[in-house]
Amino acid sequence: MVSRRRVFSILKKEVFHILRDPFTIIMALVMPVVMVLIFGNAIEFNVQKVPTAYVDQDHSQSSRMLLRMLGSSQYFKLEPVDSVLQGNQRMERERASALIVIPPTFEMNLSGRCPSHVQVLLDGTDNSSVGAIAGYIGLIQEKIIKEIYKGGSIKAPLKVESRFLFNPELSSQWFIVPGLTAVIMAILSILLTALTISREWESGSMELLLSTPVRPIEIVCGKIIPYAFLGIFSVFVVYLIARIVYSLPFVGSHWVFGLGALLFLLSYLGLGLLVSTVVRNQQAAVQVAMVLGLMPSMLFSGFIFPLEQMHVVCRWIATIFPAQWFVDIARDQFLKGSSIANLWLPFSALLANVCLIVSLCVQKFKRTLEK
Amino acid sequence: MSNVNAANANSYHIVEVKNLNVVFGSFFAVKDVSFFVNKGEIFGFLGANGAGKTTTIRVICGLLCATSGEVIVDNEHFIPGKEDIIKSKVGYMSQRFTLYNDLTIKENLAFAAAIHKVPRKTMQKNKSELFELVKIDRDESDLVADLPSGIKQQIALVAALIHNPTLVVLDEPTAGVSPASRAQFWALIKRLTEIGKTVFVTTHYMDEAENCNRIALMRSGELIAVGSGQELKQNTFKQQIYSITPKNELTKEQIRDFSQKCDLFKPYGIHFHVIPKDGQSMGDFETIANVENVTPSLEDVFVQLVEGDR
Repeated sequence: MVSRRRVFSILKKEVFHILRDPFTIIMALVMPVVMVLIFGNAIEFNVQKVPTAYVDQDHSQSSRMLLRMLGSSQYFKLEPVDSVLQGNQRMERERASALIVIPPTFEMNLSGRCPSHVQVLLDGTDNSSVGAIAGYIGLIQEKIIKEIYKGGSIKAPLKVESRFLFNPELSSQWFIVPGLTAVIMAILSILLTALTISREWESGSMELLLSTPVRPIEIVCGKIIPYAFLGIFSVFVVYLIARIVYSLPFVGSHWVFGLGALLFLLSYLGLGLLVSTVVRNQQAAVQVAMVLGLMPSMLFSGFIFPLEQMHVVCRWIATIFPAQWFVDIARDQFLKGSSIANLWLPFSALLANVCLIVSLCVQKFKRTLEK
Repeated sequence: MSNVNAANANSYHIVEVKNLNVVFGSFFAVKDVSFFVNKGEIFGFLGANGAGKTTTIRVICGLLCATSGEVIVDNEHFIPGKEDIIKSKVGYMSQRFTLYNDLTIKENLAFAAAIHKVPRKTMQKNKSELFELVKIDRDESDLVADLPSGIKQQIALVAALIHNPTLVVLDEPTAGVSPASRAQFWALIKRLTEIGKTVFVTTHYMDEAENCNRIALMRSGELIAVGSGQELKQNTFKQQIYSITPKNELTKEQIRDFSQKCDLFKPYGIHFHVIPKDGQSMGDFETIANVENVTPSLEDVFVQLVEGDR
């Protein structure tokens, strides 16, 4: 039988520890703010003002129009060079990411209604931005054709028009910040619980605690509950920053988001306890917690790297960790607003994760000093 | 030693340890140990570091499982599912940890009581009785971190007793405490037996061990002697012990010579405690300035039994 009084007494003790430990308070309140501000501003998938060298060998009205249109977009910062060789040197010295070469026959071919080729050289060493640059050039190309043949009779036989749902501006922050709640909560919760138990082992207080009739489930509950509240508060802080600083919409249900956050928190708090049952000193606990908290939430959550593009083995690994499921829920609730019924898979996965981790934790948490 | 008689008169065994073995891998931490502790006595558990004292204590407190053997506490056997009954009868004060430093006295005691599910009214009653016993007059809202080590030990003892256990297990309770506080603490331990508690205590200080009604000596996981201090002294030293003071500092050769002529030859400050071998008289030693008859102390017993064969 679980004694509510024992659970409450452990819970109360933890609250005193938290309130009187500046490190815990800073971790719980300041770290989420700093992380969300740094990550939110540092990660940008949209490429802007790409340093682009160009060689205009035609010096015609059409070539100038082409360059004007490229330059007036927010994507390119054009700088003229005298030759292709000079342009290449700029790219080698990483002073330009792209080189546009307009051949001397550009306008002549256009006026003769012949295909006219413009050469675009891209720095393939930075493959994170090269695809985006090529995409922008493709988009601008369409506008240029329209402008050049203004009033003409040429019509494209096929026209594909794309509309971006849920994130019309394709804002990186709208994509990053909901996923960031998972990363922040994962690190925070696993670290705090791993530290709280390993501290008890290190000081010897766990020995005293285990000499009493207290049960593992009571210790686990008493330890998890206050940190779950702290974690929920951190989520609220991240939510406020997302809404106020990054103007992120929230179209879903706060209850669905809150429930997902709670399940995710419980699974990582349990994981922290599990770490501390195996690792009994604070330094090692921090190291293991950082690996288990940071790595899956960064790499295997879809927070930055799309899971669909990963190898099937990596995708399987990702399903084990709760991070990807909560990232799904968070992004959905911020931008799409699906009902809980539509999110049955991530919710079921999170619930299964919590049950597994907490039961493992209780099972591993021996009532003796044996490892 | 009036307490010895009192303890012997009451032969109820609050702790019975029978053929206890604790093995870690291939290492025998405790080897076939058997002893009992009488109700109401102060039972001292002595031994060098690594002798197996703390391991034995941990088994008695339910913190470690015995590899084999039997431990009975107040007629309760350690069997799965029944640990809680035994744990509620034991008040444990560990050597490493006493109280949470960032909690106040009141919060620490309330936590200790709640863990043992002591009703609030009973807790208040026990607390005031124990405060009277330990003669502490501190503001309960003081943080433990701000307390002197002696007071901290006393509050830790109150925390260990808050659920009114029959057996109090103290693992080196006075380690790192000032001599004055140590004396106070031992006076407190004696008062505990007067109110019917049984105290099981380990210590490194031999002068403290003299306060125990009975003593068990451990060496390398084995129990080598059990009895009252007087019994241990009589059984260990059947001959007269002398304290000799050399005229000058002894050379290596002189020390070797003495060791060959004596059954006991141990330094004791600037003196040496010796037992000459049969047929040797103290007059044979030309380098001695002074010879005195001495009553053996527990330290002599400890040195002879625990370190004698090293």
